[in-house]
Amino acid sequence: MLRKMLLLLLLGVMIFVTGCWNRRELNDLAIAVGMGIDKQDKQYKVSMQVVVPGEIAAKKGRGASPVTLYSAVGDSVFEAIRKMTTNSPRKIYISHLRILILGEALAREGIGKSLEFLTRDNEARSDFYIAVSKGLMAEDILKVLTSLDAIPANMLYNALETSQKAWAPTTSVTLDELIKDITSEGKHPVLTGIFINGEPQMGNSNKNVQMVDSSAQLQYTSLAVFRGDKLVGWLNEKESKGYNYIRDKVTSTAGVIPCPKGGELTLEIIRSKTKVKGSVIKGKPHIDIEVRSRANVDEVECQIDLTKTKTIAQLESLGDARVKELIDEVIHTVKKEYKADIFGFGDAIRRSNPKFWKKAKGRWDQYFVDLDVTVKVDGQIHQLGTVSNSFLERIRE
Amino acid sequence: MLENGKISLRQFTILVTLFTIGDSILVLPSVATFEAKEDAWISAIIGMGVGWLVVCLLVVVSKLNPDLTFVESNKKILGSTLGTAVSLLFIAYFLLCASANVREIGDFMTTQSMPETPIQAIYVVFLCIVVMGVRLGLEAFARAGEVFFPGVILFFVTFIILLLPQAHMENIQPVLAEGIKPVLRGSISTSTFSSGQLVVFLMIMPYVNQPKKILKGFFTGTLMGGVALIILIIITILVLGADATSSNMYPSYSLAKKIDIGRFLERIEAILSLMWFVTIFFKIILFFYGLVLGLSQVLKLKEYKSLTLPAAMILMVLSTLIAPNITYYNNVIARYWPFYDYTLNVLFPLLLLGVYGLRQKLFSQSSDLE
Repeated sequence: MLRKMLLLLLLGVMIFVTGCWNRRELNDLAIAVGMGIDKQDKQYKVSMQVVVPGEIAAKKGRGASPVTLYSAVGDSVFEAIRKMTTNSPRKIYISHLRILILGEALAREGIGKSLEFLTRDNEARSDFYIAVSKGLMAEDILKVLTSLDAIPANMLYNALETSQKAWAPTTSVTLDELIKDITSEGKHPVLTGIFINGEPQMGNSNKNVQMVDSSAQLQYTSLAVFRGDKLVGWLNEKESKGYNYIRDKVTSTAGVIPCPKGGELTLEIIRSKTKVKGSVIKGKPHIDIEVRSRANVDEVECQIDLTKTKTIAQLESLGDARVKELIDEVIHTVKKEYKADIFGFGDAIRRSNPKFWKKAKGRWDQYFVDLDVTVKVDGQIHQLGTVSNSFLERIRE
Repeated sequence: MLENGKISLRQFTILVTLFTIGDSILVLPSVATFEAKEDAWISAIIGMGVGWLVVCLLVVVSKLNPDLTFVESNKKILGSTLGTAVSLLFIAYFLLCASANVREIGDFMTTQSMPETPIQAIYVVFLCIVVMGVRLGLEAFARAGEVFFPGVILFFVTFIILLLPQAHMENIQPVLAEGIKPVLRGSISTSTFSSGQLVVFLMIMPYVNQPKKILKGFFTGTLMGGVALIILIIITILVLGADATSSNMYPSYSLAKKIDIGRFLERIEAILSLMWFVTIFFKIILFFYGLVLGLSQVLKLKEYKSLTLPAAMILMVLSTLIAPNITYYNNVIARYWPFYDYTLNVLFPLLLLGVYGLRQKLFSQSSDLE
């Protein structure tokens, strides 16, 4: 009897002690999807793009903006986030962060300190991407509404991923990769830049997405070069592509090459694999880059006879030369202008010859400037698309 | 006898495996990479080798008095007073080990998933199950081990497979860049973490129903656990890199966060903590069982159940008191604890063997004289 009573009592207690101290219901959370960090005087200005659940629900809400922006200034990132409770009804929840935008001004001073919070806090994950706002405040980027993806931060995440896969001059970097590059002795980090194409002020309102041609559009651009955690400059589009070739981040891209008899022809790179090998020859470090890629002909704007195997071989060597040129160019620029090993050549040397690396790592950036790099490209063209010779051949003048 | 149950060799092996994986699944990669960097996996292999020597030693010690638990055997070999003193030393060790593991659970839960929950709440819940398990007896929790084991293996294998797409071979190169020294230093902690606390099994060995095959069972258990840990260390380094692994408090948890298969199979790190709860539960319950059984044997009690609740209360308070903060705790675990383990798992059993040998010799000599 006593046992049964006790059991009953326990069952009764269970009703009241469910859950835990930390329960946070969905309607208590302000789900942040985008985060921006800027420098304001000596303090951080943190901006959070927060989803307005009512507006993205299947049943349409008031027709207001699908996201809202909270920002606060604090001595540390965490302080600023907590200060946001003064203008947000809910506590910011950062587990679903998609994108982190760092202001260019902050990036030039150094991004390391502002990232520490995100590595330490238990709510933060490292699966969001990081980009630098080019010439703007990070906050401005987060103020722009986008059309196809109602949540701008989601659009930024997907656009970066898609453009890296299909276009190549951008690169998606997650927090742990960035931290690894910042702390590594043999590689400096890069981040993709982002800017607003159009009128930045116009992006702030729903009107922006009601137009076919939005007056403010977010657009990724080329890569920002960092030395340690400080931004030192920007690569252009071609150089960025060269960088991605070296880092084996090219999946697919379009490559325009000159035709033998003038005009242009475009290849679609469908696969590419790069191997970077380091070695030390007579006390001097040496890097071998080997790119193997496969391409299809995707657009022909010149007089060329694609039915001959000789032409294909010719195109292959032209394509190889172009990739080699991209790679050589970016190495040359980075050596000359930034003197920062963003390619991870130091890591390659460390992997192949740890003894040499131990001596060289303190002065690696000097070694990098006079580093010998051999580039070998082996591209193959397999398909011509759905037609053999172009109809352009048969146009009557 | 205080314990009337018998466990099968299979159950014993499973308990050894779960014990070996224990808390190591969550913290070992960090501890091992701290010294050995990229080569931590070599440290782990060395650690497993050392662990086998410990296993051999313990089995030899258990063979001295195969029907007696460690505490009883101490008394027989060392005499009543000295034997009791040594046994108390071991009981204190079991208590400290158990409380350190309970503390680890508390620290983990309050850092990773429930920062605002009082740490004691977690202790209470966890210790309730431990007390329940021990009260039900050795047979019951050995069977529980058998029930959970396939699940743990399944989760572990899935976990590793899901991480393979993110593994980068470059992270583990170069091999032995800094020479063998850091690897050896790393193996001090890997050996204690994976198999340096096995002495507690001397408390349950008499209850295994096939005493002759016990060495084999012990070997298989440490092998399975050790291989699991080696694989875990390798995959952690391959995915996170050595630097990130060593600076992370719970690297395998961060590892689980990285799982992302086609954007639908993601955020499944809770499964890892679940797996860890199971393995650390068996570690704690074995220490706790050793503690209460040993203590009741020393005190010549008729049954050990009456000790479970008081012991759990002491354990709970001790878990809080054992370290004022996490830095202190980590320091103790990394710097001093391995040597504590070695003293009690290697040095004392060796001494015991020595005394036993000496007595045999003296006895045979004195009998010769007669």
